[in-house]
Amino acid sequence: MRGSVGIEAMNVFGGMAYLDVRELCDHRGLDMPRFENLLMQEKTVALPYEDPVTFAVNAAKPVVDALSAEERARIEMVITCTESGIDFGKSLSTFLHRYLELPSNCRLFEIKQACYSGTAGLQMAVNFVLSQTSPGAKALVVTTDISRFALADAAAVQEWAYSEPSSGAGAAAMLISDTPHVLALDAGAYGNHAFEVMDTCRPGPDTEAGDADLSLMAYLDCCAGAYEDYARRVEGADFRETFSWLCFHTPFGGMVKGAHRHLMRKLYKAKPAEIAEDFETRLGPSLAYGKRVGNTAGGSVFVALAGTIDTVELSEPRRIGLFSYGSGCCSEFYSGVISPDGKAKLQAMGISKALDERYRLSIAEYEKLLTGEAVVRFGTKNAELDRQIIPGAWPSEGKGDRLVLDSVVDYHRNYSWI
Amino acid sequence: MDSTQIAEMIIAEIRETVPELAGETMTAADSMAELGVDSIERSEIILATMEKLNLKIPMVQLHGPKNIGELADLLLSKSAG
Repeated sequence: MRGSVGIEAMNVFGGMAYLDVRELCDHRGLDMPRFENLLMQEKTVALPYEDPVTFAVNAAKPVVDALSAEERARIEMVITCTESGIDFGKSLSTFLHRYLELPSNCRLFEIKQACYSGTAGLQMAVNFVLSQTSPGAKALVVTTDISRFALADAAAVQEWAYSEPSSGAGAAAMLISDTPHVLALDAGAYGNHAFEVMDTCRPGPDTEAGDADLSLMAYLDCCAGAYEDYARRVEGADFRETFSWLCFHTPFGGMVKGAHRHLMRKLYKAKPAEIAEDFETRLGPSLAYGKRVGNTAGGSVFVALAGTIDTVELSEPRRIGLFSYGSGCCSEFYSGVISPDGKAKLQAMGISKALDERYRLSIAEYEKLLTGEAVVRFGTKNAELDRQIIPGAWPSEGKGDRLVLDSVVDYHRNYSWI
Repeated sequence: MDSTQIAEMIIAEIRETVPELAGETMTAADSMAELGVDSIERSEIILATMEKLNLKIPMVQLHGPKNIGELADLLLSKSAG
């Protein structure tokens, strides 16, 4: 019998500003007759004084603040999961460690595998807890990704066109321990599917390149392959019966719908009406937050998890299936159990309310940000951030609980609480 | 089964998947993207055609064709192989 392990507490931070995706598509003149099929509504846009550090810290702070001093002292590892790193050597975890005032006896590092990074981080932390090398220890796993891919020139906006509407920003913070209130993982119940493919990549600090068709094909292959490996390991697993709800990596809702349809046809030869009803019931709740922040890359499967837990009726423990995919590519299907107690804990984070409070950018403001003049690029040595770049977006009265980027001095990023 | 028949199967799947194109004339020289079939629909059409051909290969092996005819050729070669 393995000890229990999983997510003790979690929070999602969806930034300070957002854009209406329909408005963006109209503005770009994208001919999207079946826009509704994409299941997108809003996307978070990172402001110049927001970066992967501020997103990560702002997601993790409420989780850490809710701990007693003794509990906080047991955070012995911080894993940041990202494809938006700000330095080749120094990990984002070092900044989290500083601004969250964590103990010095702590492992700090960052991992990368496109949108799979969050699950990679989660599983590393889970195995740390299961190993019992430090009984009772906790690990903080934080996914953080932003998308600023149109900075280079006009051609960059063109190249980015296919994913601009879905590219979002956000962070998910998870405390992993042997008291998994929010998600008790089924330890040992997982399946992987991986192979080398050049579907989507980040060849430079501010660029993304990719092929929408190839990426979708790899995602579909992985979804089927990872579930098949899960079913091989887990006796009696049944995709249709075992999981009350499902949370998939969500570049946009339409892609998840396609993957679900693929599996239902492949495994059960299910008919369209049954597939549509099953999607609505078991995957609909997972889109609650994703359709408001856009693709959050490494965090997207956890944004889906948070949306599910926050929005479903839950009177008893229920099993959830999770599918994570990262371009390049690696994927995993795994599962865990959620409960009413964890739901109450997650709801206390007020994720939905924080999303409501974001500033709505106009297209003109968004375009101004896209030029990137006010943005701190990778490798910047010195900079001062302009807080009034979008006057309405700066909070008029802060509570001192939100981190923003202030300046860069000799490559060192300085942050402050507002 | 030849490439023309597979192209006809693909076109039938397009009509099935995208009701807006049901009455449209389509040939092997057309590209699905240019016809207005979105990426999700394209993958569905390919999967449905694979099912009809009883072809079980990774989808990524079907990446690359520029039009319906090229896709039909590729599906034919994969079916034969």
